[in-house]
Amino acid sequence: MRPEMREYNWDWMLGSMIHIAAGLDKASPLELTHMLRYVPYFSDTMGMFARLGDPAWHFVRMLDVYMQRVLAAKSQGKKICMTTFCFCPIILEAYGLVPLMIEQLTGLIAGMYRRGAHDYMDYCVELGFSETGCSSQRGMLGAYLAGLGEEVDIVIGSMGGVCDSNSNAYAFGAERLNVPFYNLNYPSEITGKEVWEYQVSDYKAMMAFVEKATGSTLDEDRLRDLLAEKAKQDAIMNRIEEMQIMRPNPLRPALLLLLYAGNLMCPGWPEYTALLQSIESDMIARAAAGLSGSTSGIERNRTFFFYIDHTGLSLSFWSWLEEHGISHLGGVPSRTFADTAPYVKGSPPGAVYHIDTSTRESMIESLVGINATMPMSRTIRGPHDAPHMWLSDTLALCEMYGADSCIYAGTPGCRNTWSNVKLMVQALEKAGYPSHIMTSDTFDIRVESWETTSARLEEFYQVRGLWK
Amino acid sequence: MRKLLNQAAFSIHPPAIEEWKESGGRIVGYTCSFMPLEIMDAAGILPVRLRGVGTEGMGIGDTYFGPFICRFPKALLQNVGQGRYRFLDGAVISTGCDALRRMDDCWRKAGEDIPGIVPSFFHYFDVPQKVEAHARQWFSGQIRKLIRAVEEHFGVRVSDEALKEAIRMRNRIRVLLWKLEGLRRRPGSEVSGAEAFGAVIAGAVLPPELFEQELAAWIAELEEGAQQESRPRPRILVGGSVSDDLELINLLEQAGARVVAENLCFGVRHAEDRVALEGDPVDNLTARYLSESVCPRMFGNYKTRFKLLREKARDAGADAVILENVRFCDLHASENGLLEHDFEKMGIPCMRLEREYGPLSEGGRLNMRITAFLENLQWRKGVRRAS
Repeated sequence: MRPEMREYNWDWMLGSMIHIAAGLDKASPLELTHMLRYVPYFSDTMGMFARLGDPAWHFVRMLDVYMQRVLAAKSQGKKICMTTFCFCPIILEAYGLVPLMIEQLTGLIAGMYRRGAHDYMDYCVELGFSETGCSSQRGMLGAYLAGLGEEVDIVIGSMGGVCDSNSNAYAFGAERLNVPFYNLNYPSEITGKEVWEYQVSDYKAMMAFVEKATGSTLDEDRLRDLLAEKAKQDAIMNRIEEMQIMRPNPLRPALLLLLYAGNLMCPGWPEYTALLQSIESDMIARAAAGLSGSTSGIERNRTFFFYIDHTGLSLSFWSWLEEHGISHLGGVPSRTFADTAPYVKGSPPGAVYHIDTSTRESMIESLVGINATMPMSRTIRGPHDAPHMWLSDTLALCEMYGADSCIYAGTPGCRNTWSNVKLMVQALEKAGYPSHIMTSDTFDIRVESWETTSARLEEFYQVRGLWK
Repeated sequence: MRKLLNQAAFSIHPPAIEEWKESGGRIVGYTCSFMPLEIMDAAGILPVRLRGVGTEGMGIGDTYFGPFICRFPKALLQNVGQGRYRFLDGAVISTGCDALRRMDDCWRKAGEDIPGIVPSFFHYFDVPQKVEAHARQWFSGQIRKLIRAVEEHFGVRVSDEALKEAIRMRNRIRVLLWKLEGLRRRPGSEVSGAEAFGAVIAGAVLPPELFEQELAAWIAELEEGAQQESRPRPRILVGGSVSDDLELINLLEQAGARVVAENLCFGVRHAEDRVALEGDPVDNLTARYLSESVCPRMFGNYKTRFKLLREKARDAGADAVILENVRFCDLHASENGLLEHDFEKMGIPCMRLEREYGPLSEGGRLNMRITAFLENLQWRKGVRRAS
């Protein structure tokens, strides 16, 4: 790792920057323009946030709280749990632990810094981690393995049986950090009594692990509050989802990124509720004016991203969508599978979750359900064409949201989806959805430059005649 | 090595399998070492481990799998697509790793384009990635599900007695394989690493009775025979990603090493590696197949695996460890990183070697690295002696 990268802890650097940025919402447009001149390194991302206005400032303030909690954890006697974006962190909060979500932070660094998390990724490899492993974990994991962040106390994975790359990274990290590790494991099926019982047993074993490893006890009142707030948030997300069906779709693409990043990092937080309310208001205003989420207000294409998207090089991908009039109809990380969601009507138990805060047991089962239907845990756990999985979800959502085309984006480290993405594309094309596979890396711009990625995107829309 | 074992080690369709088929025997292919062979044995079916050897291209594998995928499952699919596995009556796809479990999706889809390549019995076998009580319960449920599926499809009955008989037979084979391990480890042993590994691979495809007979006869010959090799060679343990081709072992031995043990998904793990006979056979199979694995897919069990490997290296008198991984096999690649760190810390020289699966197109590069490692090993030995 370059020596200068070791000068400061990454979390302190990012936390300080976000803390300063959180105060910029009070700046006038002229002050903001002047300020951006002094931070050329971050100006593209900050400029985009400034353009997004109120929702973006809610997001930055929420991130500020998140980072300050991580940075203050030790001084407050709290333990830090490193975990994955596919794990609902509400349970950790109810145990009084501070969740540290690796993939979101890698994405954040990839979006904020032009150098991305590349140095940390490479350091991870220097320590023996597979260079072909997923960059989403390699990024921030490398920083922690280099000792450039707050001390981690335990590690919890949640991708056993779903994503080897993910599980492997957390197992490797825990081993090198020499801290206790638990990995939740999922069967390939999603419905059925046996499956449910296995997931409940595994989740309870995870809770026993947390209690043993940290000496924490579950605060049921806190858990109830967090879940009740999450149910409120789900209701707002449902309304946002319904508005996305409109033509034109009034959701500004980058707001979708903020929406799902918040849902994965801060579920149950009032700050996240405020962010959602702000996004909803923005959409209502645009819908009333008949505008799409694009810069011009005209919708030229509705694309369903059937896996993830792209965060590298100052969030260029999101600006590109806005400028080209493309409505982002969501993807695997952007949706919840709450039983109240508009797109899950008729789904059997297990394929959706229900929040019930009446008893301790019902709350635990609610969390089991949430976890079992998190991004990837639900969609790609079994064969791609099995019921309630990747293909059936994609086709149903494409139809419901009126998609004009489909795009796969991911990282080369994703063994699971790269094993069957060609089958997906074949099936989607057959169903009438022109489909494109992005060969870039969502978190590592070195794999394919943004210039190449955007040229290939342009080519796809142009050659397939997808511009309206 | 005896001819029959040799044939089976190098071919996916050796004469013994042909004879089994001609005599009306049924054959089920499987993809991963978590599949309890005893189930098929008890049903009178020959379980054959699917292999990727003999592929000359990757056109079919690349059509269905994406680009960033290990070439082992691609090579299996290539063989399947080229009709080289048409002798199968069934296939069991386990959730070994992400790429391998997607054989299920890719094989079925390839079957829509190439008629006749998907056998009529096609079973997805879900294996948990942990060993706790609830995982054992899940796994035993999956074993029972597989038994029921085999019974229904093939019109056979898999009784507890038949299962126990199959367990006894497979245990006898495990004892013999362990005996072979002992013979190859002897200083100056005439058994080369390639021969020993070849026999292990043959055991994954031959009818078990025949394999037991052949292995026992070879071991008897070895026990009677004089120990021939006198030239001391660096003794190497090879571990890592699944490997069923002997080229890497050959390359190492041609470079002057002697492979005294390996840990490559096939074969026996340790002296006590048996299935218990007392009690419920399904529970016993569950315990052995789930708990005794050395595969990094069992996340969080690194320390157990390192201990096993450390003991294996010690017992085999290994001077060094070579850890290979097929490109894009992140599980072994990362585990190899941990193992290298820990072996080196113990003073055991260790090298990681990433490679492609299949014909050794990169033999020159591997040879150079292996030779350099062996030279370094000699140098380190010299330094140790001098100090």
